[in-house]
Amino acid sequence: MSPFEIGLISVVAMVALIYLGVYIPIALGLVSFVTIWILRDSFELPLALLKIAVGDSVTEYSFATIPLFTFMGLIVSRAGLGEDVYRVMNTVFHRILGGVGMATVGANALFAAVTGSSIASASVFTKVAVPEMMKLNYNKRFAVGVVAGSSVLGMIIPPSAMLIIYAIVAEQSVGHMFLAGVIPGLMLAAAYILAIWAMARLRPSFVVNQGAEQREPAGLLGLRDMVLLSLPLIGLVLTVLGGIYTGWLTPVEAGAAGAALGLVLAIARRRIDLKGFWNALLETGHITAAILFLITAASIYSRMLGIAGLPNALGDFLQTYQLGFTAVMVTLVVLMLFLGTLLDTASIILIVVPLFLPIVEPLGVSLVWFGIIVVIGAEIGLLTPPLGISCFVIKSTIDDPSITLKDVFLGALPFAAVMLCVLIVLIRFPILSTALLP
Amino acid sequence: MPETRQATGPARAIHAVARALKVTAQALNATGTLVVLALVILINSDVVSRNLFNAPFKGTYEMVQFLMVMIVFLQLPDVIRINRLTRSDGFLAILADRRPGAARLCARVIDAASCVFMGLIAYAIWPELQRSWGAGSYFGTPGIFTAPYWPIHAAILVSSGLAAAIFATKAITGKRRPEHLHLEESGA
Repeated sequence: MSPFEIGLISVVAMVALIYLGVYIPIALGLVSFVTIWILRDSFELPLALLKIAVGDSVTEYSFATIPLFTFMGLIVSRAGLGEDVYRVMNTVFHRILGGVGMATVGANALFAAVTGSSIASASVFTKVAVPEMMKLNYNKRFAVGVVAGSSVLGMIIPPSAMLIIYAIVAEQSVGHMFLAGVIPGLMLAAAYILAIWAMARLRPSFVVNQGAEQREPAGLLGLRDMVLLSLPLIGLVLTVLGGIYTGWLTPVEAGAAGAALGLVLAIARRRIDLKGFWNALLETGHITAAILFLITAASIYSRMLGIAGLPNALGDFLQTYQLGFTAVMVTLVVLMLFLGTLLDTASIILIVVPLFLPIVEPLGVSLVWFGIIVVIGAEIGLLTPPLGISCFVIKSTIDDPSITLKDVFLGALPFAAVMLCVLIVLIRFPILSTALLP
Repeated sequence: MPETRQATGPARAIHAVARALKVTAQALNATGTLVVLALVILINSDVVSRNLFNAPFKGTYEMVQFLMVMIVFLQLPDVIRINRLTRSDGFLAILADRRPGAARLCARVIDAASCVFMGLIAYAIWPELQRSWGAGSYFGTPGIFTAPYWPIHAAILVSSGLAAAIFATKAITGKRRPEHLHLEESGA
C-alpha cells in the first residue's frame, strides 16, 4: 500500500473510532501513532513526535487566551449581564411580531462579544427568553429554535474559543481572527432577525400560536435604565476588542483584563461568592485542559498527515482533474456538515484544518478568511441532529417536559439553513471577513 | 439486585487504588485551579505595571508559557476521572439501551486503549525528564528570564502516569455506564 492509502485509511479509521465513542484526543493520538509506526517502520519516530507534541505544543503564549476568555465568559454569565442586555433588547423590539425572538438574537449578539462560548449563551437565554415567549403565546418550537440558533453567535462574534483554536492550528494571529469575526458575526445576527421578520410575515403560525393576542411584554425599560444596563457590557466590549484593535493590549492581555473587569462587576453586584468564584476557576481549568489536550493530539495527527503526504496528494488530485476553488470549498462544507452530525466544533476544526490548509494555501486565499469559513461551517453542527450540542444544552436547561428534543431540533432547523446561506455569501465575498484587518 | 456485593481481596484492592488515585487527582486539580488564578493576576499586574509605571515585568511571556503547561497537566487527570474528556458517545448511549453488556465491554476496551496512549506519553517523556534534570536545561531567553525545564517534564510525567492509572481502573472496574455527552467539556 502507498503511504497515501495508509494515510487515507487511518483518517477514516479515526472518524469511525470517534463515532464509536473513543475519546477524541485518544483516537487522534493513538491512530496517528500507529500510522506513523507502520509508515516508517520505526517505533522510535512516533515516540519522538509524541514527545515533541506533548512537550512543546502546550508551551505557547497565545494558548493563555483560552483559560482567560473562558474565565471571563463564566464570570460575566454569573454577573447577570445576559439578563440585562436581554431586557434592553426586549424594549427595543417589543412592538414587532416576533419581537421577543429578535430581542433574543440581538441580546445574544451583544452577549457574544463578552463570552466565547455557545454553551453559556444557550443556557442563559433558555432561562430568560423561553419562558417569556411561552407567556406571550409563541410557538414553542420557534421559542427554543431562536435560542438555539442565536447561541451560535457566541462562538463567531469575538472573543471566541473556536477562533482561538483555529488561530493556533493554522498559525494565524489570534487578534486578526477576532477582528475578522466581527462583520460575519453581525451579518449572521442581521440575517436571523430578517428571517424572523419574514417568518412572522409569511407564516405567522410558525412564530405564534393561533389566537395569540398582542400583549405588551412585562418589564419594559425607560431610556435611562436602558443606558445604565448597557454600560457595563459596552465597557467590557470596548476594553477587550478596542484594546486588541488599537494594539494597546495583546489578545492574552485583553483576556486577562476582561476577566478582571468581569470579576469586579460580579463582585460589585454581589452576584458571586467565594464558592462561585472557585467553581468558575475550576471549570476554567477543566475546559482548558480538555481543549489543550485535544490540540496536542491534533498536532500529532497533523504531523501524521504530513508524513503520509495526504494533503499534497489531495492537492495533486485536484490539480489533475482541474478541480478548482469551488470544488475544494464544496467538499469542505459537505465534510464539515457530515462531521457536525456527531462531533463538537473544536474537534471538527482540529480534524479538518490540517487536511485542508495545505490545499487552500497555494490557491492564494487569505487564511484568516478560511478560518472564518471553517469556524462557521463547523458550528452548523451545533444545530443539527442527532448531536447538536446547543440543542442538548437547551433541552437540559429547560424546565418544561412538553418541549422535546425533537422540538428543539425542528425549531433550530430554519436557523441552521440561514447559517448555511450566510456561509455561502461569506465564501463568495472574502472581503466581508478581511475588511477590518489592519 | 439480589446479588450482594461481597468485596473480595482483589476487588477491595482495586477500590482502594481508585480512591487513592481520586485523592491525588483532586489535589493536583486544586493546585491547577490556583494556577489559573495566578495566570489572571500575573498578566493583569503586568498590564497595570507597564501602563501606569512604565515598568513591565521581566519574563511574563515565559511565565505564562510555564503556567499554561501546569494548568493543562495538573488538571488533566481529574478531567479524565470525572469523564469530561471530549468524546461523542451517542453510539454508546444507544447501544447501552439495546445491549447493555456490549456497551460496557466497548467502554472498557476504549478505556484500556486510552490507558495505553497515556502510558506511551509517560514512556516518551521519561528520558526527557532524566536529561533535563541531569543536564539542567533551561527555557526562556538567556539574560532576561530563564526557568529550568525539568518541572515541565515532571508535570507531564506525573500527569500522564496518573491518567493512565485512572484509565486502567476504569477499564478494570467498568463501573461507568456510558452516559450522554458532557456539555461544557470542549468549551463548545
